[in-house]
Amino acid sequence: MIRKETLLSWPMIAFMVLFFISPLLLLAGISLRGEDGSWGLGNFAAFLSDPFARGVLTGTLALGAKVTFFVSLAALPLVMLYWHAGKLLRGLILICTLLPMLTANVVRTFAWVVLLGRNGPISQTLLGLGLTERPFSLLFSETGLIIALVQIELPLLLLPVFAVLNRADRKTLEAAEVLGAGRWRAWFSAIFPQIIPAVLAGWVLVFASATTSYVTQSVIGGARLIYLPQFVYREVGVLFQWPMAAAISILLLASTGVIMLGLTMLARHERLQGHA
Amino acid sequence: MTINMTRRAFTMAGLSALATPALIRPAFASGGKVVAATFPGSWEDAYRSIVGPMVKDAGFDLTVAPSLAQDQIARLMASPGQPPYDALLVSPGQSDILIQEGLIEKIDPTRLKNWDKLSPAAQNEWGPYVTIEVNGIAYNPEVVDKPAGYKALFEDPQYEGNLALIGFGSNTATMAYTEINKAYGGTYDNMQPVFDLLEAYLPKIGAIATSGSNQMTMYQQGEIAVFMASTGNVAKLRELGMPCEFAHPETGSPSVPVAIHLVKGASNPEGVYAYMDAAIDAAAQTQLAEPPTAMIPTNVDVPYSEVVSQFVTPEQVANAVYPDWQAINKHRAEWTETFDRLVVR
Repeated sequence: MIRKETLLSWPMIAFMVLFFISPLLLLAGISLRGEDGSWGLGNFAAFLSDPFARGVLTGTLALGAKVTFFVSLAALPLVMLYWHAGKLLRGLILICTLLPMLTANVVRTFAWVVLLGRNGPISQTLLGLGLTERPFSLLFSETGLIIALVQIELPLLLLPVFAVLNRADRKTLEAAEVLGAGRWRAWFSAIFPQIIPAVLAGWVLVFASATTSYVTQSVIGGARLIYLPQFVYREVGVLFQWPMAAAISILLLASTGVIMLGLTMLARHERLQGHA
Repeated sequence: MTINMTRRAFTMAGLSALATPALIRPAFASGGKVVAATFPGSWEDAYRSIVGPMVKDAGFDLTVAPSLAQDQIARLMASPGQPPYDALLVSPGQSDILIQEGLIEKIDPTRLKNWDKLSPAAQNEWGPYVTIEVNGIAYNPEVVDKPAGYKALFEDPQYEGNLALIGFGSNTATMAYTEINKAYGGTYDNMQPVFDLLEAYLPKIGAIATSGSNQMTMYQQGEIAVFMASTGNVAKLRELGMPCEFAHPETGSPSVPVAIHLVKGASNPEGVYAYMDAAIDAAAQTQLAEPPTAMIPTNVDVPYSEVVSQFVTPEQVANAVYPDWQAINKHRAEWTETFDRLVVR
């Protein structure tokens, strides 16, 4: 029997089933159809038995991991600054974090085309400082792609962490210091455990967004760096192989899903929850 | 000031507000709506501003849906029975696939009042050719000299680091590769010469972009100075203030007509005929021959514009290379795979 208090959630559940679960099942169904009309796991077998395709899959996951790592590195000083900042500076940091999100991903990506190019400020500054002999381009390189993605995805890690820091109790830090911990140790033993679930949630968002960022991958990475979203587009838009495209999409969903599930479970771990 | 409102009144007011947009509708033409796919960018803008009003005068509303040729086919295949477009705009490479898949239908020329104004070569039973796209080499005269042809791009050191290429998903690139392949002794059934050439040249390549528009962005940013392009691409870059010239390859300029097709099961065939008629009308083609589109007219009453004349003459168009799209389509998937595997780091 349907409980009365769950009635309000039913429209949303119906919406999810109709517009998310059903298309997903349809996609899974298409992925099982072979070129000759037969049904089976042939598309998955063909993809996974191809070393080139496997390389694209692992390359995509590796890109997600690298971006997540560098986003974490870039976020650390900002998180520390936010923690120690007063109300005004906190507001300023928050605005600076949110501001890039107010522009479309496409716009941010094309801004990076200008910045990373051989006539862009990065190349020209290093040239002016005499650190390089000739202008260089970071476009169409993994380094350039990671730089762009780190900036684009950074807010996805910062925002959940800032939300936790706003609620964090400064008295725990004082207690740690009273008990003899140095400033760094006090921060890492009293505050850091509180933000771990938020960090893991941020990692999930950054990883998922970086691995599926078709526009940035194709515009900054070019054709010499192929990741799964471009691979899917090629199967659909050039080769018209819908079942193979569906199979690759399912594999992308599954592989990123497994990693996201692992991080989510880690975030819900009893010991980590205990600190939050 | 306090507004007192009952819950029922609030709900009614909210629903009324939500329903308002449905009641306020712009005046539609009596013939209904025609959804026509066109290439994004200058094509889309020009068709919306030049062809759209003419279709409106004929009693139909033209909705221009920007989409690349390959994407148009992909979207049609994705929704069989309920086509997202009434009309398509593609080249023979895609037309061949559309015919094979039964996605378009032959037209009735008697329903086009401008049909007889088309050059005989543009009178295609599957839909009129609205222009001919002439392809060659776009180059920046401030960075490199005019290339003598395709071979020079790979053999003259001045083009090293300045040349951009794209994959076989692009018609322009595909035609260039088949011509280069021929120049190095290959055939449609043997593309190995061009793949060997590309493999050897990769360390010297300026960039391998993902699309034609991506190449143009790179050109604007000074990342590259040479790429395979149509005269339209060069006209667009010039319009943007970029120094850009067009060079005809030594083997002849690979060219493709661009056709409007009537989609099988189109919701408004009458509107599609009105749209076709507008696109081949002398008034429309005269405007489309000017920058930034600089299209080569197919209506015999329309002379080549000054800009078009800078790129090609009617004689060059007549003697251009028209690739064998059936042969290309037979191998295109395999070439695409080979190219991708070759260039990926």
